[in-house]
Amino acid sequence: MIHEFLFSFVTFLFIYFLVAVSLNLTIGFTGLVNLGHMVFFGVGAYTSAILTINGVPWYFAIIVAGVVASILGAIIASITVRLKGDYFAMVTLGLVFIAIAVSRNWISLTRGALGLPGIPDIFRNNFYYTLFTIGVVTIAIIIIYFLTNSETGKIFQAIRDDETATAILGKNTYFYKILSVAISTFFAGIAGSLFAHHLNFIDPTLFDLELFVFILAILISGGLASIKGTIVAGFILSVLITLLRFVVVTPELIGPMRNMLFLVILILILIYRPRGIFGRVDV
Amino acid sequence: MLSLKNVSKSFGGVKAVNGCTFEVEENTITSLIGPNGAGKTTAFNIISGLTKIDKGTIRLIRKNITNLPAYKIAQSGISRTFQLTKVFKNMSIKDNLLIAKKTDEEEMKQVLDSVYLEKPLDTIASELSYGQQRLLELARALLMPHSLLMLDEPTAGVNPKIRQEFKSILKKLKKQGKTVLLIEHDMEFVMDISDFVIVMDEGKVLRVGKPKAIVKDKKVLEAYLGK
Amino acid sequence: MVSFEILPQLIINGLIAGSIYALAASGFSLVYYVIKFLHFAQGAILTVSAYIFFLFLNILGVHYILSAVLAIISALLTVWLMNWLVYRPLRKRSATGIVLLIASVALLMLSASLMQALFGSSTKVLNLSKSNITYTFGFLTITFIQISIIITAIVLFLLLWFILKKTRLGKSMRALADNKEVSQIVGINPEKIYFYTFLIAAFLGGVAGILIGLEQNLYPRMGIIIIIKGFISAVVGGITSVPGAIVGGLFIGLVENLGIWFLPSGYKDVISFTILLLFLLFRPQGIFGVKKRDDT
Repeated sequence: MIHEFLFSFVTFLFIYFLVAVSLNLTIGFTGLVNLGHMVFFGVGAYTSAILTINGVPWYFAIIVAGVVASILGAIIASITVRLKGDYFAMVTLGLVFIAIAVSRNWISLTRGALGLPGIPDIFRNNFYYTLFTIGVVTIAIIIIYFLTNSETGKIFQAIRDDETATAILGKNTYFYKILSVAISTFFAGIAGSLFAHHLNFIDPTLFDLELFVFILAILISGGLASIKGTIVAGFILSVLITLLRFVVVTPELIGPMRNMLFLVILILILIYRPRGIFGRVDV
Repeated sequence: MLSLKNVSKSFGGVKAVNGCTFEVEENTITSLIGPNGAGKTTAFNIISGLTKIDKGTIRLIRKNITNLPAYKIAQSGISRTFQLTKVFKNMSIKDNLLIAKKTDEEEMKQVLDSVYLEKPLDTIASELSYGQQRLLELARALLMPHSLLMLDEPTAGVNPKIRQEFKSILKKLKKQGKTVLLIEHDMEFVMDISDFVIVMDEGKVLRVGKPKAIVKDKKVLEAYLGK
Repeated sequence: MVSFEILPQLIINGLIAGSIYALAASGFSLVYYVIKFLHFAQGAILTVSAYIFFLFLNILGVHYILSAVLAIISALLTVWLMNWLVYRPLRKRSATGIVLLIASVALLMLSASLMQALFGSSTKVLNLSKSNITYTFGFLTITFIQISIIITAIVLFLLLWFILKKTRLGKSMRALADNKEVSQIVGINPEKIYFYTFLIAAFLGGVAGILIGLEQNLYPRMGIIIIIKGFISAVVGGITSVPGAIVGGLFIGLVENLGIWFLPSGYKDVISFTILLLFLLFRPQGIFGVKKRDDT
């Protein structure tokens, strides 16, 4: 029992790591405040779920989940990255509501509000699945880490600091912004797929803002443009909300109390420590 | 090398640049002067592709660069600085320079030396003083491969020491035979360093000529002193 | 296919939804106009007001007028707390618009979680005997509440217009919106005016919360849903234009309701977001906004 609990905790923890680190690529490194990140996570989850339920092998489904999320990300980015900061944030937030409407109403594909049950396990043994998740997430984060230190990663950061200056140094900032979103949403899709195969069930509540705000709290507490910070903060916040489960006695209160806890943390960090734990960049 | 023909741009009915025609010749320092609001910075933004024009053509060494995206104009060989410095403030000096050109530390140090910026390469730009940031921006502009360098008020808002440094850098550039388009308010300096002076007023080119001729021009005096 | 006979009803429904969006958008727009950030927590004000109204009216059995007054007071207190604890400290450290936006989204979600913790996640129905009165004209049906919504919206908008155009406070607000530095030189205290701006927005939000609660019932996330539509309305109308926000609200309400001629009603949100995107891309200044010069 306690093993199973631990496996599940670690699996979720690593999935959150990947969601937060991939979001850090757009918000922290490129300065694109993408509030619709969970849409790509959800698209990855749905893609992988629908494919595997229909008999497609899981290894193929995971990759397709990333690719579909990434293509969608690139298309949306190509339309929206020209908008200025506030507006880009709002349009991407709007995507969340479109995703909720589509996943609820495209019943032939998603079964609507009923959700998709019976998403096959990748491994019979949960321990193996935890190891598998740790492996995939670690590789993904290493790739993102090297990317952020590459020339492309430097260009992302230059765009964040001053887009005009980046353009007059001969860099096609429009292209690089789309690239950043495409890479970020690819990993969000992979994370969504891992999530779907862990829970074995998904429904439109996947797109709810709660999970996103949790991820955003991790990102900002850890510090923008700091992968180390994201991981440390992800760990601390995940432990905190898990402990809360033992403190709050009434089961109906766990959800809202958890949300309130990390919302308050998010607001406090914004006010008192805008660079987070390890960040070098102001929010 | 650079030519503007009948270039116009208006913002919501206000003509910021109105039928501008001028040329910048190779291996010269050309200064763009004029009272505030004359359209100098708008002209710079137009040339570097940050502001799209309504009418006219812009050519760089025979290549039509009118309304190309800014990054393509930069790739065609125009490098510039801004009136309000635009460095990548969360990035190191090294990374700032890397965006301009993939190069080794040797060349970076050379260009930093040439602008009198003596700071370790890993210094974060936001830790530099404003004047030092301007020097870094200039170093970055120099490092980027270019045929024309445009400097927007390089000496504005910096302390006298750095102001002197900027002047001596410009003199060096002149000796090297670089092509420079300069916006500057220090008239004495402009008249001293420039090969040609372009006077703008109310979005139009008022006069083009050698510094000596410009100083004596009645129209120019009127534009500056009011009619 | 939807029959033609229900067209007038769809228009009426659109106007009612539009009045609600306009009520939500006007406070939001006002804050954006004067204080220059996206105050999504306006949605939290709506939620708090609706739930406090519910608390007094249905749980404690207080008279509906007194309940409404208490609900509006709670809305004003909420915005005072928000400004004091969150917005003011952030402004003090010159936080960017994005930070204020994230903070206000966090406050918005905090209100949803708080209401869920206090009142549970189930939908609450406000019991007010008057709300069952309906009027029928031929094909048209309209409830007493719906008529009140339209009338209240009109009265509030006239009041808002009066404050902005005819009072000293309104002049200070407009001056501040136009140029903060210059306003300070002529003796306007921005923090004071910001505070009054928040209070006016909260008053609009408080009234809106009660009416929306009566029209659509209560649930913890109601503020999130409504304010998103308020935001879209504000953008469509021109985000810094308060009258624009009102027209934008009516426009979005009508389009969403007429949209079911073409699409299942579940896709209402898709329609409004498509409109948002089209406006942001092709007419970011909205219907009434003025395009600004983009450099110096």
